[in-house]
Amino acid sequence: MNCEKCQELIHDLLDGTLSRADEFTLNTHLNECLDCQSVRQDLSAILGFCRSHRGEYETPPNAQALWLRIRNVVEAEAANVKVKSKAPRKSFLADLFGRSWELSLPQLASFAVAIMLLVSIVTVVGIRRFGNNPPIEQPQPLASNINERVFQRQQVINYWKQRVELNKARWSPEMRDTFDRNLQVIDAAVTQSLNELNRNPHDDISEQMLNESLNDKLALLKEFSDL
Amino acid sequence: MKATSLFRSTSVRRSLPFAVATVIAVCFSSAGFAQQHLSKRYQTGKNVRIELRNISGTIVVESWNKDEIRLSATMESPNAHIVPKQMDESLIVDVMNDNRGRGDVGDVNFKLQVPVSSSVDLETRRGQISVSNIRGSSVRAHVSTEGDIELTNITAGQVVAQNTIGNIFFDGEFSTGGTYEFKSTKGDITIRIPGNSAFRLVAASPARKIALGEFWNNGFKTQDGRRYVGDVGDGRSSVSVTNFSGQITFLRK
Repeated sequence: MNCEKCQELIHDLLDGTLSRADEFTLNTHLNECLDCQSVRQDLSAILGFCRSHRGEYETPPNAQALWLRIRNVVEAEAANVKVKSKAPRKSFLADLFGRSWELSLPQLASFAVAIMLLVSIVTVVGIRRFGNNPPIEQPQPLASNINERVFQRQQVINYWKQRVELNKARWSPEMRDTFDRNLQVIDAAVTQSLNELNRNPHDDISEQMLNESLNDKLALLKEFSDL
Repeated sequence: MKATSLFRSTSVRRSLPFAVATVIAVCFSSAGFAQQHLSKRYQTGKNVRIELRNISGTIVVESWNKDEIRLSATMESPNAHIVPKQMDESLIVDVMNDNRGRGDVGDVNFKLQVPVSSSVDLETRRGQISVSNIRGSSVRAHVSTEGDIELTNITAGQVVAQNTIGNIFFDGEFSTGGTYEFKSTKGDITIRIPGNSAFRLVAASPARKIALGEFWNNGFKTQDGRRYVGDVGDGRSSVSVTNFSGQITFLRK
């Protein structure tokens, strides 16, 4: 028999309702186990006191009402516990800022280094992605006027032209001549298409040629900008 | 005896400086030549892709019956630096990248021998491009400024040839479902294909110099001779030809 089983049966033993076989087994365990023996002594003392002082304590005037009050208090407390458990969680930020931070010096230093690293990475990515970029090319034309549209493209072309001019001094004279000659050919195509479009604004072939010539010019400038 | 040896020693003495000078000249010139020439071989599979970005100079690509690439380059300047990179089934040569910050490296002339079913993507700022006997998935030849493009005996699903000044010549076949684009601002474009070729054509030339030859049919729509749009055969492939001031000519093989 184990202690748990034994302590369950001690009540029956003290009430005298235990069978002989169980009583024998229980007593055998109690003789061997001091803990269980101590429990039996305590329970026996409580029962003895109650029996000896039976009728000496006063019953409450209204026992039923007392039990109701006790039950109400117990139920109210149980309800409070439920409400507390269902209280909305604080948001992450509220939790973060509501918390009191106590950092050691190494933790503080690590935190500062992490922030510096993050700022550096964001700066480098930002410069690579957005720095030194050409003006954003406008999506093809809502502008009704062709010249206006060409002007918009020309803005982008001018940007790349400036970049090319910066590098041009490094090229060989042959390469410079070749570049200039080809740019002139493309410019001539642009001018011819523009003239044709000014004569006939609905000429879609000239419009196609104009767009392609401007694209070719832009592509040429971009290709030579990093030469 | 003495006279003979004297004569010999005198002639040796006279010719010695010339001999030394010749030897030095030969040594220096051969060293210089060695620096300006590169030749490498790369073992590959059959379907290899070659990407070549040149700055200036000619590019010649031709096929051979080997599963390897032979790259030969002649460099005008000893400063030129070329580091071909072989990755999986592709070979990349980027003269632009390899010589960044080195100033003008002059002309670099390439000759590549590649497997027949290679795909080639060739670019140069200036210079001629010639590709022959290729049956790969794509052939692209781009000259930013001036230089002729010659594509001979080509069968590829995608072909792009573009320059600003210079002629473009294509001799080959249009594959079913393929796309073909030829574009020049100032130069003649000549396309030589089999008579039974089937394609949808969009050809534009503001100079009105479009000659479709035997491929013309009544189904073609034209806008005052500057643009022709129509199908040849069942139009199984797509062909676009744009020439600003030169001639567009279609020839039958």
